[in-house]
Amino acid sequence: MIRFLWLIRRELWEYRAAWILPSVTGGLLVLAASFGHVDVDVAGARPGPDALGGAVLFGFGVVFLFVMLAYSSWYLLDCLNADRRDRSILFWKALPIGDAQSVLAKLATGLIVVPLFYFAAADVTTLAIAFIVSLRARAWIGSAMWHPGQWLQLQALWLYLIATLAVWLLPVAGWLLLVSASVRRATVLWALLPPLAALWTERALLGTHWIGRLLASRFVSGYPVAAFHDLSGSLLGALGLPGTSRSATPPSVWTVLAPLRFVETPATWLGAAVGAVLIAAAIRVRARHADP
Amino acid sequence: MLPVIEARDLTKRYGAVLAVDRVCFSIDPGRIVGLIGPNGAGKTSILRAILGLTRYEGDVRVLGREPWRERAALMLEASFIPDASVLPGWLRIDRAVDFVAAVHPRFRRDRTRAMLAKTRIPLHRRVRELSKGMQAQVHLALAMGVDAKLLVLDEPTLGLDLLARRAFYDALVEDFMDESRTIVLTTHQVEEVENLLTDVLFVDRGRIVLDGSIESLSTRFVAVSVEPAHLAEARAIGPFYERRMLGKTVLYYEGADRVALSSLGELHAPDVADLFVATLSGATR
Repeated sequence: MIRFLWLIRRELWEYRAAWILPSVTGGLLVLAASFGHVDVDVAGARPGPDALGGAVLFGFGVVFLFVMLAYSSWYLLDCLNADRRDRSILFWKALPIGDAQSVLAKLATGLIVVPLFYFAAADVTTLAIAFIVSLRARAWIGSAMWHPGQWLQLQALWLYLIATLAVWLLPVAGWLLLVSASVRRATVLWALLPPLAALWTERALLGTHWIGRLLASRFVSGYPVAAFHDLSGSLLGALGLPGTSRSATPPSVWTVLAPLRFVETPATWLGAAVGAVLIAAAIRVRARHADP
Repeated sequence: MLPVIEARDLTKRYGAVLAVDRVCFSIDPGRIVGLIGPNGAGKTSILRAILGLTRYEGDVRVLGREPWRERAALMLEASFIPDASVLPGWLRIDRAVDFVAAVHPRFRRDRTRAMLAKTRIPLHRRVRELSKGMQAQVHLALAMGVDAKLLVLDEPTLGLDLLARRAFYDALVEDFMDESRTIVLTTHQVEEVENLLTDVLFVDRGRIVLDGSIESLSTRFVAVSVEPAHLAEARAIGPFYERRMLGKTVLYYEGADRVALSSLGELHAPDVADLFVATLSGATR
């Protein structure tokens, strides 16, 4: 286990952007909060301070989430390729570390460790921003942002997102690792072209859209449905938009998280199984390719 | 005594290309073996195969293990230094030491530290900030910190200047070698390792063309410098290679009658570099 932590540490030495990028993101957002100006006037409705405070925190979290997803994808696509490019694979393979262990350490880094950095950076950032905003807005929404309940909800939401996304995105991560281990260069092209080619081929030959639907569900529509109760409804409701069922109190994270449904959704485990197969394939390829 | 390495019908193909062709050899503990051959002879493939870094056909046992199936376990007792500069450029030297110490149970940090202390290498620098010679020294220090029974070196001094090469081999002999350890190395600079080696394996086109200890070679092969007057006579005894040098002709023989030869000219034991050239270009063989 300690060995495994050292393998992860190694990844963070190599990929310093894993912690620098969230820090920079946080810094930029703090700057924006210090000097920026936002008028809130959503379709004529004036949301209450509690809801807006929550929405602001959530909005900043979303920025972190998207930067995190982009960086993690890139990391997983690069991590097995980089040491073949600079031939250092021969150094790492001369150490008594199994291929499975090194691939799994990279997987854990991409799916869990990097997201945790973003989580930490998001926390620090939102604290800083809440402080700045409460100074600038004279506690109008500041008090809402300092609300311990909101804070706790955000922590829960982050941890829930990290845990569920790590499972939900296993097939994607497996595919990226397999590409990273297999090809010599142009990893991005190799990662994107085969799925797109499959999609087009299916459309041209069979006229069906199974692959497209499968990908769309994995990347866009499937996850919120599997992991949350009525996520979009409650988001819009939180802002008090007309036409949504806005309740007196802002919806809490606790009513939105759906861990049971996530566990019971077959797509969760079908995806994880596909992911496991792809990861196993990546380990096999890694074992074969000592030659740079 | 159990051999450290035993290879039977070791074969390596890259697609249709046969890089190593049913090679058999065995290496005993305490030996320093030079794997010598021209570019593309299959040396690197053989080294990679015995370390489990590449797939192969045939039966290979290294320190009692099957390299391809047990690479990670094998690396507990074997160290490998491929051609210079495979240390990743982003790695800091002190962290490299920390990392190897953490993942390698047979690594002795104090040994590596002591070796590094003898050099002028700044430990807080990254590998990419060091010269090639320093990078090679770092790698050697890391490899020698491992209490290994087998050290495999593939062109370890490639691209280094004379001083760095000398320092590298001095450190190798002084700090690593004893009877319980074995070194297998490949190099193009045969002259430099000649005095180090106890055994040679000449490889050409994927096959072993000569295999033996240095002592056995000097009894098996002999060279004679012959004046032009005796040349025809000397040729009649059946040399496998000859070359002209300063008006004389040097003829190389395998298992020839030394008494007969000594009447024709001055006898001497061919050195490894001579034998290498003679064996591989041995057109008359």
